Amino acid sequence: MSASTARFTDVPGDTRTARRLAGRPGPRPAKPRVQHKRAILIFVLPFGALFSLFYLVPIGYAIYESLLVIKREGTFGAATEVFGGLSQYVLVFQNGPFWQSVGRVLAFGAVQVPIMLGLALLFALLLDSPLVRGKKFFRLAFFVPYAVPGVIAAIMWGYLYSPNLSPFSAVTQNINFLSADLVLWAIANVVTWVYVGYNMLIIYSALLAIPTELYEAARLDGAGQLRIAWSVKIPLIMPAIVLTAIFSIIGTLQLLAEPQVFRSFSSAVTSTFTPNLTVYTTSSIPNVNLAAAFSVVLALATFVLSFTFLKFTQRKEAQ
Amino acid sequence: MKKRAVAVALLAAASVALTGCSASTTSSGTAAAACAPSTGKVDLTFTTWVPGMEDAVAVWNKANPDIQVKVQTGPNGNGGTYQNFFNQLKAGNAPDLGQIEYDALPNFRVQDGLTDLAACAGVLDAKKDFVDWTWGQVNFGEDNAVYAIPQDAGPMAMFYRADLFKANNIAIPTTWAEYTAAAEKIRATGGYITNFSQSDINQFAGLVWQAGGTWFKNDGTNWTVNLTDPTTAKVAAYWQDLIDRDLVSTNPPWTDEWNNAYNTGSDWTWNSAAWGANSIASGAPDTAGKWAVAESPQWAAGDKASGNWGGSSTAVFKGSKHPYEAAKFALWLNTSDEALTLLNKSANLYPAAKSGLELPALKAGVDFYGGQAIYDVFSKASSQVSPDFVWGPTMTQTYNDVSDGFKAAVTKKGTLIDALKTGQTATIAAMTAQSIPVNK
Repeated sequence: MSASTARFTDVPGDTRTARRLAGRPGPRPAKPRVQHKRAILIFVLPFGALFSLFYLVPIGYAIYESLLVIKREGTFGAATEVFGGLSQYVLVFQNGPFWQSVGRVLAFGAVQVPIMLGLALLFALLLDSPLVRGKKFFRLAFFVPYAVPGVIAAIMWGYLYSPNLSPFSAVTQNINFLSADLVLWAIANVVTWVYVGYNMLIIYSALLAIPTELYEAARLDGAGQLRIAWSVKIPLIMPAIVLTAIFSIIGTLQLLAEPQVFRSFSSAVTSTFTPNLTVYTTSSIPNVNLAAAFSVVLALATFVLSFTFLKFTQRKEAQ
Repeated sequence: MKKRAVAVALLAAASVALTGCSASTTSSGTAAAACAPSTGKVDLTFTTWVPGMEDAVAVWNKANPDIQVKVQTGPNGNGGTYQNFFNQLKAGNAPDLGQIEYDALPNFRVQDGLTDLAACAGVLDAKKDFVDWTWGQVNFGEDNAVYAIPQDAGPMAMFYRADLFKANNIAIPTTWAEYTAAAEKIRATGGYITNFSQSDINQFAGLVWQAGGTWFKNDGTNWTVNLTDPTTAKVAAYWQDLIDRDLVSTNPPWTDEWNNAYNTGSDWTWNSAAWGANSIASGAPDTAGKWAVAESPQWAAGDKASGNWGGSSTAVFKGSKHPYEAAKFALWLNTSDEALTLLNKSANLYPAAKSGLELPALKAGVDFYGGQAIYDVFSKASSQVSPDFVWGPTMTQTYNDVSDGFKAAVTKKGTLIDALKTGQTATIAAMTAQSIPVNK
């Protein structure tokens, strides 16, 4: 896989993304003067080097490739890459299937992300509540699907959905989950299954960080478990929920593995079903320059969307 | 925040400058470079997806201690290996040798990925050893160029469930009109005559090939794309009718559902290539002994025409340091009796070499097909394949776009001919985007 596309195969909730975003705190008081500058530099260097090598350089290369066009002479003439300005970007904006695929993943995200995070929050609150037994078991059980590689999960669910071979063929013969109307939501189910546990764990660890005195105080004020969850826990773990929401938005726009697998066994999944699948298909022509332009536009869209969401939630918090 | 953004921009700019030097312009591949032997022991890498290739290569490695070949396996070409090849070519670390189907060769040549082997010892002389049309696929009609060594061919015939046809007293169709009539009778029994594949566009191309159509032309300067010529339209309309009347199943091919349809006897025939013998045997093991092979149905009674689906070559990639040794190995692999016998046994490959057609293994009966000497049928088909079919330079893209449309057609959201029209426009656009001269 070329460097230009490698960046976009990150799966939702990718740990690299997690590490990067986790280091970015919300609003806080003015910084104290930085001391020990040299020590900080030494500590940051290993990260900085790897981050540049595997992140910034590929992005830079993708931008560079996206500015080139192919020129050649004759039928089998030699190809040369020449500077083409923004002509690849013009093609991106003229490309109907690409924007349809963007609309498709936005619809997907609008439905799937709230459901997934709602479930993750519910499970985390249940694990944190004193009323539930067998916490260790459930914590692991909810998290296990995340340990299944996305491709394997998609193949497994594809089998469960298949009309004649599914163990639940009584259902799948009557409802075709792989049809054009349902396949997007069938994929949403797979993604939810895989990532609920992961998001639950992030929210749960935020819950564990809440000082127990707060619960005690709430109880003294006469609050029950539900009231504590609603009025104490959820407001306090809001930053964690926002974080998982941003991961999920990024993950949604970068859907690749699941639709790529579903493409082989559903007539409804085309080669341009999601933006990343479009990038992949374009790069297999091979038209790396256009694929790079798609990638850059997609990255910018992801950035804008995540950032808007962050700003929006921060403003709400400030109110 | 602002400072950070500036830093990011600077780093990005620096990285562009750094990587800029790696995107060098590709050199011209017109003149055949000298092809001299290397000194000392040579190690070659060979990427393929043909099952059992390791066994054939092991025979070579044993006999040639100085030219050792290492096999790397991947998914079939359009399933990912071609994309890997393109990426490796761009990165400058392609293997020495690669498996490339005939339909993808123009694409690799346009991307300047193939070494012209004409200057390598014995390569030009090998022309007479191969079935004529397969050599035409690897030299692009040029006398002094050879861009790959043909390996196998995919002459098409009709695999059918002999037992079911007999039990239901349905005649084996010899024309496409009879095929439709048989389809109606089979549907009445609850089965389907075949499965229309929404993503094997090369199979559909084989059916067009048989009907006498051709999708591309190359006059030496410009390409012409013609996915919607009257012949193609006729073939598309034929299958559209079967789809509309629910006379063919439309399972996505190469899936468990698809295997299951054949394994349980729901689908009765498959218009496929010689190598398809292997696919049925592995996908529908419960039907052993019940299959037979007949010549493809014809458009007019008494015609003698066959299509071709697949078949591949062994190419030497640009950048290989040992084209002489690589060509020597490729010639051995695709002409020696022992290699061809092994590949036929493990992958049912049908050789492109003329001598291969006389192999004892290809004369024997095959148990899975009720003991029928099935290669006799393919041998006849092979001689009936028109040499005039030309592949375009962006076939992966053409297949993807037509397949997207075929998928819509099998879900009744469009038609096959709509899909081909879209494919036509998209193919011309893709070629224009790469400055490949094309008549619009």
